[in-house]
Amino acid sequence: MSKDIFQNLKKAIIEYDTERAASLAKEVMEKKIDPMKALDAMTEGIRQVGDGFGRGELWLPDLAGAADAMSSAMPIIEEEIKRTGAKRVSLGTVIAGTVFGDIHSIGKTMVCTLLTAEGFEVYDLGINIKAEEFLEAAKKYNADILAMSALMTMTAPEQKKAIEYLKKEGLRDKIKIMVGGGAITEEFAQEVGADGYDPTAPGAVKLARRLIGN
Amino acid sequence: MLKGFTRNFPLFKILTEEQVEAIHRGTLDVLQETGVSVYNERALKVFKKADCDVNFETKRVKFPPGLIEECLRKAPSSFRVKARNPKNDLVIGPGNILFFNFPGTGTVNLDTWEPRTATEKEHVNLIRVLDALPNVHFLNAYPYFGFSDGIPEIMKEIEGVALRMRNSTKVTVAIANNDIDIFTIKMAKATGTEIFANPNTSSPLTYYTDQVNACFLAAEYGLPSMIWDGATSGGTAPASLAGAVVLSNAELIPFIVLIQLLNPGARVSVANLVLAQNMTNGAPAFGEIGVSLHNVAFNQVWRKYGIPTVCSSCGPTSSKRIDFQLGYQKMMPTILSAISGSSVLQLYSSIYGEITAHPIQAVLDDDIAGMIGRFLEGIEVNDESLAIDLINEVGPIPGHYLDKAHTRNWWKKEQLVPKVADRLTYPEWMKAGKKSCIDYAKERVNEILAVHKVDPPLTDNQEQDIERILKEAKEHYQKKGLITDEEWEIYKEALKESGRPY
Repeated sequence: MSKDIFQNLKKAIIEYDTERAASLAKEVMEKKIDPMKALDAMTEGIRQVGDGFGRGELWLPDLAGAADAMSSAMPIIEEEIKRTGAKRVSLGTVIAGTVFGDIHSIGKTMVCTLLTAEGFEVYDLGINIKAEEFLEAAKKYNADILAMSALMTMTAPEQKKAIEYLKKEGLRDKIKIMVGGGAITEEFAQEVGADGYDPTAPGAVKLARRLIGN
Repeated sequence: MLKGFTRNFPLFKILTEEQVEAIHRGTLDVLQETGVSVYNERALKVFKKADCDVNFETKRVKFPPGLIEECLRKAPSSFRVKARNPKNDLVIGPGNILFFNFPGTGTVNLDTWEPRTATEKEHVNLIRVLDALPNVHFLNAYPYFGFSDGIPEIMKEIEGVALRMRNSTKVTVAIANNDIDIFTIKMAKATGTEIFANPNTSSPLTYYTDQVNACFLAAEYGLPSMIWDGATSGGTAPASLAGAVVLSNAELIPFIVLIQLLNPGARVSVANLVLAQNMTNGAPAFGEIGVSLHNVAFNQVWRKYGIPTVCSSCGPTSSKRIDFQLGYQKMMPTILSAISGSSVLQLYSSIYGEITAHPIQAVLDDDIAGMIGRFLEGIEVNDESLAIDLINEVGPIPGHYLDKAHTRNWWKKEQLVPKVADRLTYPEWMKAGKKSCIDYAKERVNEILAVHKVDPPLTDNQEQDIERILKEAKEHYQKKGLITDEEWEIYKEALKESGRPY
C-alpha cells in the first residue's frame, strides 16, 4: 500500500502534477507513512527529470514543472519529518536565491532542481533576496552551501554584503559560497570572495559536490 | 505518405490581377505570333493534329490560344506520386510544401573550399543523408553529376539512379539526355516506384529531341512530369522581370500542351530556374534578389493556371564556402517562394551553382527547411493559445510561466529547435570547444551514416532487374559508340572493386 504511494509520488513529480503531489503528501501525513521514504521517492522523480534534461531529452519547462510539483509537497513532508524526529540524510544543505536587485529566477531554479536531484537538501528562497535574508536562512537551516544567483553584475555589492555578514557572524568558514548567473565570470566570483563559480547548471552541481569535499 | 509543411495563411502576392492578366496575354501572344522551335518529328505531328500551325521545314510551331487554355485546364492542380515505400509517397499541390535537393557537379574540399569530383562512395553517402533527412521529401536526379571511379560519362547518371534505388526509398527524377531516361524509368518501374519525367526547355523558345522524348516516355509509362525552364535574364531571356516571366511561361506551356495532348489529365508541375546573368563574367548570378522577384511573380501567374510550381532557383548560391553569403542566398529566396505559392522548394545540399554540393550543407539546409516549415504553419489563435486565464493567474512578478503546464504544452509547438545551430551561451560554447553549426552538421552527417538504414532494401529480384537494365544500357551505348573500348575496359575493372555495388 505505502509502496504504491511512493510510486505515485514519484509519478506526480515526473508528470509535473502539483495537485496530486500535494494530496499524496497529505496522505503520507494522515496515514503515518514514513516521510523519509516519501522524500526519497520524490527525489528519485526529480533525478529522473534531471537526467532527461542532461541527455537533452527534457527541457527547462519540464525541470521547472518537476520542481514545482516537489515544492507543493515539500512543506507537508518536511513538517512530518520534523514531527517524527527522523533525521534527513543528504549530501548537504544548500540555501539558494537570486540576490536583491535581481529578479531573474530561471537559472537559479535549474540549479536548485538539479541539486535536489543530486541529493542535496535545497532551500530556494526565491528572487530579490537581501543579504540579511540569506544570513537568516543559513543560520536557520544550518547551511553547508550558500548559492547566490545574479544575472546583473550591478548586484555585486549585495553579494559582498552577504559574505560580510557571514564573516561577522563567524560563519564564513563553515559555509561554502557559490555564485552563478548570466553575467557572472570567474573573475567576478573571486572579486566578491566566493568559493566557486560555474557557467552551467550541471556544472554547478559538480561544483557543489567539490565544495563539500564529496 | 510523406506529409510536407502546411501553409496556414494567405499567399503573398506581388502582382495585381491586371498585371497577371497582362503576362498571360503576352504569353499567348508570343506562342501564337512567334511560336517555338521543336526538334522532334513525333511532337510536330502531334501538334499538327491538334490544329497548331506547324512548319515541318523550320520546325516552328505556333499555338492557338484556345488549345493552350484547354490544355492548362486539363492538368490537375494537385496529384500523388508513388514511392517504393508508401510512407514516402508524395502529394504535389497547393498548401502542401515539399523540399528536395539541388545537385552539384562535384563536391568541395572542406579545408580549401576547392571543387573536386566526388567518389562513388561520397555519391552514395550524399544519397543516404538525403534519404535520412526528415524534410527531404524526394531526391533530384544526380545529387552529384557523376563520380570519379572509372565509370564512363554516359553511364554515370544511370549508375547514379541504380545507387538511388539501392540507397533510398524516396521518389526521384529521371533526367532526359541521350536515352538515359529510357533506362532509368525502367529501373523505377522494376523497383515499384514512380519517377518524375524531366523535360527541359532550351532558352529562348527551343526544344531538343531528347527533352521532347521525355514527354512521350511520361505518356507511355503514365508518369508525372516536372518541367524545367532555365533562362538567364539579360542573356537568354529579357532583362526585365515581367518579360522573363512571359518567356518562361511561353517555354513551359508547349510541354504542357504536348503532355496533355498525349495523355489528358497527366500530372505535371513546372520548375522555375530562371536566373539573372552576372554582367561581369557571364555566369548566372545565383542568389540575386531579382530572381526572387521573378519567382514570386511566376508563382502568382501559375496559380491562375492551377498547376503546381517548383522553385529551383532557391538552391544554388554564388558562394564557394559554407558561409554567411550562402546562408542569406539560400534563406531569402526559399522563404519568399514558400510564402508566394511554390509547392516544392529545391533547397538542399547545393553550395555554388550547379557545381558543388555537400552532405554537410544538406544537414544545414534541413534546419532552414524546418524553420520555413514552422513559419508556414503560422499562428494559432484560440482560447488556449490566447492564454488569458493563464496571464491572469500568473499576474505580475514574482509570477512566471516556466513551470506551467501550458508552457510545457505550447513551447515545442511554437518554437522550432534547430538540429545543428549553435545556440549555446558563451561559457557553454567555450566549454564545448567553440563549435559552429558546420561542426555540428559534420557530427550529424557522421551519425546518419553510422545508423541510417534503407527501408526496405531492394529485394533480390529487384536487384537482379537493376543489374539487367544496367547491362542493357551498357550494350546500348557500346553499340551507339558512346562507350569506347578503352572506357569499357576501365569500367569493367571498376565494377570488380570490392564493396560494389554500393
